[in-house]
Amino acid sequence: MRPYLTIIRDSFHAALASRVLWIAFIAIWLVVAALAPIGYREDLTSDFRGARDLENRSRMRALLVQGMSDPDLAQTAVGRLAAAMPDNIVEDLERVSAGDASELRTSDYADALNKCLDDESWYDREAWSSTLRLAELRELDEIADDELDASQRRRRARLRIEAAMPGVFATRAVKSVSLTYAGFEFPAELAVDKTRFVSIINQFVVPLIIDWLLGFILIFLGILVTASMIPDMLQPGSLHLLLSKPISRSMLLVSKFVGGCAFVFLCVVQLVVGLYLVAGLRLDIWNARLLLCIPVSVFLFSVFYSVSVLAGMRWRSPILAIGVTTMFGGLCFIVGIIGGVFDGFVTGPARIQSIAVAGDTTFATTRGSGLLRFDEDSNQWVDVFESNAFSMDRTIQPVVINDDTVVTARTRAGRMNPFGSGAADLLVLSEDNGWEPEPSLRLPPATTRLYPASGTLLTLSVTDLNETATSSVLDAAGQPTEEEPEEGDSQASQSGEGGLFARLSSMLGVAPSGFKSVLPRGAVISAPRSVVVSDSGKEVFIMSGGRLLRLSKAADDQTWVQEAEYELEGDPSLKGVIAVDGAVLLLSRSKQPILVIDSRTLEPISQVPLAENLLTTSVQGIGEGRFLLLSSDGRCRLVRPENQEATSYVIEGTVGPGDVEAITFSAEENLIRIAHHTDSIDLLSAADFSSQGYLRPSLGVWRRVDKYLISPLRFVIPQTGELGQSIGSIVSGETALVLSTPTGEEQVERYNIFRPVVSCSLFIGFMLLINCLYFGTRDY
Amino acid sequence: MNLSEPSDEPIVHVDNVAKCYGKWSLRGSRRVHALKGISLQAAAGEVFGLLGPNGAGKTTLIKVLLGVISPTSGNAALFGQAAGSKFARSRIGYLPETLRVDRHHTARSALKFYGRLSNMSGQQIQKRSDELLELVGLRDRDREPLKRFSKGMNQRLGLAQALVHDPDLLVLDEPTDGLDPVGRSEVRRVIERLSAEGKTIFLNSHILQEVEVVCTRVAILSQGEIRGSGTIADLAGKQDADVIMLDLQFDDDLAADHFLREASADHPALDLAFDAKGSPRGTHRLIGKVESQSSVDQIVDLLRAKGISIKSLDIKRPSLEDSFMKLVGAVASQSVEGGTGS
Repeated sequence: MRPYLTIIRDSFHAALASRVLWIAFIAIWLVVAALAPIGYREDLTSDFRGARDLENRSRMRALLVQGMSDPDLAQTAVGRLAAAMPDNIVEDLERVSAGDASELRTSDYADALNKCLDDESWYDREAWSSTLRLAELRELDEIADDELDASQRRRRARLRIEAAMPGVFATRAVKSVSLTYAGFEFPAELAVDKTRFVSIINQFVVPLIIDWLLGFILIFLGILVTASMIPDMLQPGSLHLLLSKPISRSMLLVSKFVGGCAFVFLCVVQLVVGLYLVAGLRLDIWNARLLLCIPVSVFLFSVFYSVSVLAGMRWRSPILAIGVTTMFGGLCFIVGIIGGVFDGFVTGPARIQSIAVAGDTTFATTRGSGLLRFDEDSNQWVDVFESNAFSMDRTIQPVVINDDTVVTARTRAGRMNPFGSGAADLLVLSEDNGWEPEPSLRLPPATTRLYPASGTLLTLSVTDLNETATSSVLDAAGQPTEEEPEEGDSQASQSGEGGLFARLSSMLGVAPSGFKSVLPRGAVISAPRSVVVSDSGKEVFIMSGGRLLRLSKAADDQTWVQEAEYELEGDPSLKGVIAVDGAVLLLSRSKQPILVIDSRTLEPISQVPLAENLLTTSVQGIGEGRFLLLSSDGRCRLVRPENQEATSYVIEGTVGPGDVEAITFSAEENLIRIAHHTDSIDLLSAADFSSQGYLRPSLGVWRRVDKYLISPLRFVIPQTGELGQSIGSIVSGETALVLSTPTGEEQVERYNIFRPVVSCSLFIGFMLLINCLYFGTRDY
Repeated sequence: MNLSEPSDEPIVHVDNVAKCYGKWSLRGSRRVHALKGISLQAAAGEVFGLLGPNGAGKTTLIKVLLGVISPTSGNAALFGQAAGSKFARSRIGYLPETLRVDRHHTARSALKFYGRLSNMSGQQIQKRSDELLELVGLRDRDREPLKRFSKGMNQRLGLAQALVHDPDLLVLDEPTDGLDPVGRSEVRRVIERLSAEGKTIFLNSHILQEVEVVCTRVAILSQGEIRGSGTIADLAGKQDADVIMLDLQFDDDLAADHFLREASADHPALDLAFDAKGSPRGTHRLIGKVESQSSVDQIVDLLRAKGISIKSLDIKRPSLEDSFMKLVGAVASQSVEGGTGS
């Protein structure tokens, strides 16, 4: 190996002797020096930041109007807060109460609330004693004023305002991060805590820098500089001398190839180590994974360099080598764009998001807001609602009322109005009616999920959980019912809210009929939220803003009673998913161990560690106290009791296929349905996970084009652009990117790590083989 | 043309080697026969010269020996192994006609680089570098970047790198190209020294005088074929006899003509004639071919018998250049007359 190592080492010396390299070094040092003054400051979250914090503005206005107008509420928390509002807010609230539209922006309300943070004359201990206070507020209230610093007092004031107006504000982390540059603070705070800040830096900022600086500029520069290496080597005075040495031609070329990467390697090392030090020294982010960008970037360069080498050998001209490599880069880009278009318009919208099975008929919602029904005769998914690319509409996950009937809803939404413009009706699909949607009851505003529960249908909205009788739903859709709807169920009501609030709700276009809240009086659901109904349908478990609640149907079977509550440890803004199976509740929150909880007392039984790079995207109880966990890597994992007493739980290896989109479990059939690879479904026995069948729908024309033309093309032509995802995954250590939709729901975009890596590796290998064969067999 | 050569195992053995290049263009393909069945041998310790005009196939033959290209047919072997084998290449030192070494090197680092390519250890390279830099006169400039080197200095470095791994066979392509007379003389001395050490040297040069001085044997290539080979003396002897030139004083031109008629009739083998152009004033230059000293004596006796005064006498042996020009010129004229090409 000595001769070949010598050639590689010589390439490093040649690179170091290059003026272009030193110019690149200076440019890199300037970039790093420009980034070096960036710093951050972490402080308690206190200021309200417009629309991001004031999640439910309508409710806020309604509550303030109520507090302002109702003399009975004058000495309550919301009444005192309303009284502290400045004149412009008061005038706006009066306009709203008179039925006119609000003329002030959300930021004006945020400013008014922020003024209240510095002057707490509105606070009254007695008034706030009846509010629902978080543990943090209770602790702060116990501390004397003079023992709190200004930041803690502002934080306490914010928590008091949040307690006075529950359901209005987005749950924020206790601490927020502000960026500074050379000691000067940026005008706007980041509404994230340190953990999220680190995640943003690792998942967005660093990959962006790497993509542009390393993935584009440095690679192009590298090709410019190294394009002459092979033509230079092929000069007779150089080549014949090299070939006269006792070395292998192929290894000579491979060594030259590796040596050609020296230029990029030296530049990348400078930049990545610089970024690593800036991130570590200035932002306290000592992320050693960042250093893995060095080999990845060199790997990316080698894709293009392999083309440059072949062109250089064929034509012995650096200019032609650069030209051919640039054209190849253009080809990769075009194929990437075409692939992206197919992802966005063909495959993406068709990806299954949820499954529901009514009798023998399978329904699925898609990412393109479509609702599909599987037609066994044609072996195809049939559109009930068509899937559309980049649709802002939302199809609510269908629920099964009985073997012949499913219920869903579709809201039309826009960027400015994510919860739907106008009202949405429940839609009933029955086999008798050919599965055609029939409108039924009008849904409460901003409904995001439906849950069937013991003769009733629960609807989850931004702040509330409402119910209506199933019979009412069917009746309103003109469907025959076995029992008559009870009178009380068909009446519009908002338990705990009435009078002026009802009028305001009406003015704001909020007029649910036939629904009533199941929450205790005054209680609201706040983000992050997750709801699950027990198999019996008589218990509802709610995760709301860092708390767990259990509601049970009262003996009269009419009302729901809160029977247990548990305040979760850690950051209340952490999002999570819950599932119940018999006496066990499973909660999985991001970056936290999985909690196995006693479903009766809501006390934790066991903790199950989950790999740090995984995020649970959904979880499903599958009987016998077992759960199937769908994680961000697109794989299902089994969580089961470790012993007979079920005092501890373990997580096992993966179950079923990969690239999973959604899972559902049918207790009656004891079957797990796993949607995977866009729109295929596998049926597994819940007992032993053996295959019980599958749905492999026939593909439409565009899906065929994608499968048989575009996908192979994306594999053959290396998708260097997709390596950015690999970098994002490597730097963040995550398997997926979690994006929040405008409705507050999380959309998990799995990093496509392997395709670009495998495709690029195969391409490099293939090109090296071609290069070696060409170099080895050609007469020079 | 086959040569029967020394009994020792030949270091270079080329047997009926042909090389044919295919050239493709939009107008179609054509084949170029660069070598047409070349056979030659070089024994250990020989300095073998390869001569020929441009396009004769000399570089192609060297490339075959180095293993850079494979022959279309025939065999080429070095040290008893196929040319191009790792073993053969490990024992070759090659100096290309125009050496190109990366500009970031110094003379010393270049020797280190090429030494490493020949699997030498650092210590071996260090020792050899000192010796060779001294030998080629670059000892004082061994740390200078090559970009400051003149062509002659580059050529000296080339010679040093060819010798760095102490090869048994040196293939030198125009080794004195770009060197001043002193440098040429030094290179010649180095070649002689290496030859004395038993190294085999394969020398490709345009400078016939140089080849004549240092080579023990020579092959002349033209249009892909060997036109002549052997020792310098053999090569010259095979082509022509020595030429005798006499400046004679006659009474008049009539007497001179009378003498030439008589002498030619009596001694036709001498091929006597007057060369009107070369004779000094008042004399006649007589030229003739002499196979041996007896032929010279015969002419002198004849002249003295006739009482003709001999003003000067010179015997000229044909040079390598004469042989070269004759061999190559004959082929060129045949080509022109025959209208053939390669």
